[in-house]
Amino acid sequence: MTFPGIDFFLVLIIYIMIFLIITLSYNLAYGYTGVPDFGRAMAAGAGGFLCGYLPGRLMAYLLGIREDYLGNVLLIVDKINVALEKDPLTSIGLLVLTLILGAVAGGVLGLVASLPLFRGIRLFYLGVTLLAIQISFNTIIYHWEPIIRGEFGVPVPDPFRWLGHYRPPSIAPSFMRLTGVIVTSGIVLAIVAYYCISVSRSPLGRLLKAVRDDERSVEALGRDVRKIYVKVMTVSYALTGMAGVLFAYYQRYVIGLNFDKVAWTFWPIAMVILGGLANNKGTVVGTVVFITLKRFIMFYKSDLEFILPFSPLWLEGILLGILLMVILIYRPRGLFPEIPEMPLSREEIEKLKKRT
Amino acid sequence: MEISLPPLLSHPVVYANIISFMTISATLALTKTRVPNFAVATFGTIGIYISFTCIKILGIGLYPSLIFCFLGGGAVGVIIYWLLIKPLRRRGATREEMMIATLGLDIFLIALLNIYADFLTRNFKIMARDFTLEVYDFKAGGVDGVFIASTSIFFLIFISLHLIFSKTNIGIAMKAVGENPSLAECEGIDTEKLYVITWFLAGALPAIGGGFFPVYWIANPTISYFIIVTVFSGCVLGGFATIYDAVLGGYVVTLAQTILVSYLSDLVGLWILSYSFLVPLLIMIITIFLFPHGIYGLPWNRMINKIRSVVSGEEYSGGLRW
Repeated sequence: MTFPGIDFFLVLIIYIMIFLIITLSYNLAYGYTGVPDFGRAMAAGAGGFLCGYLPGRLMAYLLGIREDYLGNVLLIVDKINVALEKDPLTSIGLLVLTLILGAVAGGVLGLVASLPLFRGIRLFYLGVTLLAIQISFNTIIYHWEPIIRGEFGVPVPDPFRWLGHYRPPSIAPSFMRLTGVIVTSGIVLAIVAYYCISVSRSPLGRLLKAVRDDERSVEALGRDVRKIYVKVMTVSYALTGMAGVLFAYYQRYVIGLNFDKVAWTFWPIAMVILGGLANNKGTVVGTVVFITLKRFIMFYKSDLEFILPFSPLWLEGILLGILLMVILIYRPRGLFPEIPEMPLSREEIEKLKKRT
Repeated sequence: MEISLPPLLSHPVVYANIISFMTISATLALTKTRVPNFAVATFGTIGIYISFTCIKILGIGLYPSLIFCFLGGGAVGVIIYWLLIKPLRRRGATREEMMIATLGLDIFLIALLNIYADFLTRNFKIMARDFTLEVYDFKAGGVDGVFIASTSIFFLIFISLHLIFSKTNIGIAMKAVGENPSLAECEGIDTEKLYVITWFLAGALPAIGGGFFPVYWIANPTISYFIIVTVFSGCVLGGFATIYDAVLGGYVVTLAQTILVSYLSDLVGLWILSYSFLVPLLIMIITIFLFPHGIYGLPWNRMINKIRSVVSGEEYSGGLRW
């Protein structure tokens, strides 16, 4: 039996960070607000596929490459990467721009996907619609070649390449690159986590919980529940869009099969439910547990082939299916059940107590 | 005299029958037991593999195997009720939780079907993926057997369901349970028995539909991914309310999808076939935006009165707001 090396753990950290962005934003929509969102993969795809479509074309334009982009994509992206290798500023600029645009693309998709709510449909209908839209979205990307060449996919320019170029001689370029992805993902995750924790402790977080628990009471108090749903979906999808961009940049290649509904919608749902709905700590634990489990299963796939009575290919589906059902039956509130969020820190509350 | 039925007619009708079996199943599960069943299309795949096993391993014919599809699918439905739905119901799961649980079930069943397909390939040396059962069909006077069988069985079951729900005590009790389970229990109705019957039907009907599927189309364990959008679209158009609306929704969506795409493929080329799912998606979106309660929610009485007034030339003042 082989043991995983350092690269395995670096990649594991990247996966955990990217999926934490998704699960924290999903928790905002489902855990706090109660929107049954089955289209999360679409939001990640909006960022990821945008990453396959835009940065390459933009850089080709800036570098004065006027060839047919999709026809010569491998050569063109190679030229772009050579240019980016010695240009950290442009690389960082490209990365930041794509992250912003990925968030915008995800947000627009979230806004469009939640528009049916304005027709007064039940949340269950929204779940059905989102699942259908997500399947259709993935199929369009897979078949429509002008976007990212469908099933063949496209390489993505590498904004972390300069790290390999300016590295200390004793460190491998791949290590530098993975470290770059980790740092970037960490910064994005920190922003997303700060936002989600702030929301959960603010009056807005309490409003979202009120909408989830009893939307009629909230309406009776004069709040437009539909607008709240749409805003939450837009913001939540925008955050997930950034995760899609990070994943595409990490992979350096995007194909039409990426961002499928099982890996990018159903697994995050299981992570959030296992951790605990409307509890960010639980979401973090659920994500770390699931991603680590998944990565180890993938790593030991060939070893598992001799132990399991069936192909390890189907192990993921069996595990995910059983876990979702068992958690919902026996532990619906997750490992860390929802607790009332303190709007202020304990010390500040104590100070206020003393003052009064 | 031999009548030759063009594929443009037989394929859409057979597909409409299959999808309508599933829309009835999903509507029954939602209205009678309040469970949004996201695994309904995979119940159809179970039917495909029951039929495949009967034909290839047990040597039973295509149409006799439908009995096993019905019974096997029904048994799966009941097992799912006992192991998943009942415990969830007992702890008071919300509808959203039920949705997620059936999604988990769907993923689990697809993985199981894949393992089963591997098992068949390894042990019986048969191709258990991407197969068709066209050669097992018969022709009657130039018409494909599957067209006759699927249509007649579909309408036989549909009429039986109509009679059960409107003429028998069980059917009326099921309606009562669907509307208010607590009140129904107070009236002495055995809700547990009715839930079991409903889930038997919810499993059996798509499985029969699945039995017809491989005659015209290539089947594999993940085929449900490709038909689920059509099934949901049919249910949404129907309004998730009664079996009649479910059938109407299923038929309208499927016929629109198959006929329109077939027509367009002649016009613009075969590439359009890859986007055929956009038709049901479009119907679903239009339904949600224009009449969110589907066909069921349309003001039929007012519409009929308006048509009558137009025909008779009288002035109609009832309004026609949806």
